[in-house]
Amino acid sequence: MKRRRLRLALVLPAVVLLGVFLILPYAEMVTMSFRASQPGMMYGQGYTSGHYQTVMTGGHYLEALVRSLSMALVITTICLVVSYPIAWHMSRARDRKALLLYACVASPLMIGVLIRNFGWMVMINVDGPLNRALLSLGVIDRPLRLLFTQGLVVLALVHVFTPFMVLPINNALRNINPAVLEASRSLGAGRLATFWKVILPLSFPGVQPGLILVFVLATAAYVTPALLGGQMVTLMPTLVVQTLVGTFDWPLGATLAVMMATAALVAVILFSLATHRLMERVRA
Amino acid sequence: MSSVEISALSKRYGPAVALDGVDLTAKQGELVSLLGPSGCGKTTALRCIAGFIDPDGGDIKADGASILATPSAKRDFGVVFQNYALFPHLTVTENVGYGLLFRKCTRDERARRVCEVLDQVQLGGLEHRLPRELSGGQQQRVALARALVIQPRLLLLDEPLANLDARLRDDVRWLIRDVQQASRTTAFYVTHDQAEAMAISDKIAVMKNGKVAQFASPREIYQRPAERYVASFTGEANFLAAVVERELGTGLFRVQAGGATLDVRGAGPFAPRQRAVLLARPENLAIVHDGTGQLTGRITKSVFLGAVQHCEVTLPDGTCVRLGVRPNGASPGGQVSVRLDAEDAWLMPEVAA
Repeated sequence: MKRRRLRLALVLPAVVLLGVFLILPYAEMVTMSFRASQPGMMYGQGYTSGHYQTVMTGGHYLEALVRSLSMALVITTICLVVSYPIAWHMSRARDRKALLLYACVASPLMIGVLIRNFGWMVMINVDGPLNRALLSLGVIDRPLRLLFTQGLVVLALVHVFTPFMVLPINNALRNINPAVLEASRSLGAGRLATFWKVILPLSFPGVQPGLILVFVLATAAYVTPALLGGQMVTLMPTLVVQTLVGTFDWPLGATLAVMMATAALVAVILFSLATHRLMERVRA
Repeated sequence: MSSVEISALSKRYGPAVALDGVDLTAKQGELVSLLGPSGCGKTTALRCIAGFIDPDGGDIKADGASILATPSAKRDFGVVFQNYALFPHLTVTENVGYGLLFRKCTRDERARRVCEVLDQVQLGGLEHRLPRELSGGQQQRVALARALVIQPRLLLLDEPLANLDARLRDDVRWLIRDVQQASRTTAFYVTHDQAEAMAISDKIAVMKNGKVAQFASPREIYQRPAERYVASFTGEANFLAAVVERELGTGLFRVQAGGATLDVRGAGPFAPRQRAVLLARPENLAIVHDGTGQLTGRITKSVFLGAVQHCEVTLPDGTCVRLGVRPNGASPGGQVSVRLDAEDAWLMPEVAA
């Protein structure tokens, strides 16, 4: 009886935290998305499902949603390809080398989001250090215009999300018994075969959360696309912020946010279901 | 299914010498054990053969050709690991069939061979289980089947029984010996358990500090050890300080030991007045009540174990010898006469341990 009460007491902080900071805001957001809009006010009288109709029929909202999701997909894929070798080296490293690698991998997170993006702007500028260096080396004969391109946004987001991919994969790789790799080799598997048949599946418990984390973060990224992407392409988070603070239409903004969150959630659920069997097999 | 010749194999890790000129041979179909305490280099030797580490010097030949340049994936050796090292995400069938994926083998043939070898190790009915759903003994059988199914040129076993409980250990040991004999596969078997090595091997290499102390049949290792280290590692042993008087015939020596003059066999040559060590296994010693034993001493300890009673007898020169007697056969305190079967005693040179 006493134990039970203690257990309940220990659960309480988590429940309160989730309730106050996750469930309530979402409930509030969903409620908001069904309120009527009224110019000059946060929201008007009564409820309506009109905003969802607007979003579903207004082509450019859906376009922005699809663009956001596909860009997140691209970023996630590149991130995986870049992160896997880093995670592999990290999982082999010991002592100081491991510590140094951890620091390097975590470094994008140690700089504030604004500073980091201004850093990109400075570096990549038409007469910034990158262009000057390339010009003086004779690699290019006119400065590259990289700022405000989609490619730069992808690059910058891959850079900042890499730790979220590297760390779980590194963890999973460390958990692989090295003898299993020797067994694979001794049975005749080359390096590539060992990678595809043993290392990759066994590291999946790290790959899966990495993919989910980066995908969700990339879908919702706002500051970097806003600063480095300029006005050329509209992404969903940009639209949400514009609607909320620009036109001050909170119900519509909430609708867009709900749509975005739902889309990401559905994608994550589908992915989890698709990889459920593999995860069942490799779970420790 | 091949003969192996290892010569002058050496390996260092920084200042530590793991292998120091190891020579071993295995004829086709033989099972050779590498026996020794942890850190003696036995596992390093096995890993060199498997190709997981490269030796610093020496050579390993299989069927007369050096294999050092061949990567482990191409050596065609089956390895059984101490902790099984099964692929945790693959079923029993997939684990066993893994090696066949990289060999010319149709899908049907693969299924047939996996089925055959699973029968051989008595694992029928567990084909679709994952390793974590198996007991330790079953996992080790899968590991054995996985190594055997590729019909390896050589079977390498690294302490395969170390993680099993005592009862299973016997079963799996017999199984290993049976399938090894049935397939006539040459095998190297690493262990620190002398009883295991005795029971399973055609030949045993007793290893000491990266060297082979003795390489011979189990019988020879036990009865005619090359040095004290080998004798004490292969079973209960009493050692008497001995001084050689003279050689009576080939391999037969008259020595002074334990206050008696004895004629014993030994691994000469011994010069007169040379100091040596006389090995007397407990089963070669007996307390006799008619006073006809060559040695006399006092029983200083006695432990009742049910079927037998273990005694410690202190000889006049202070040496203690251990031996077994019938229960109720002796009690501490009294002077006793101890008979030594000189036929079975064994004289060894004194080697700095």
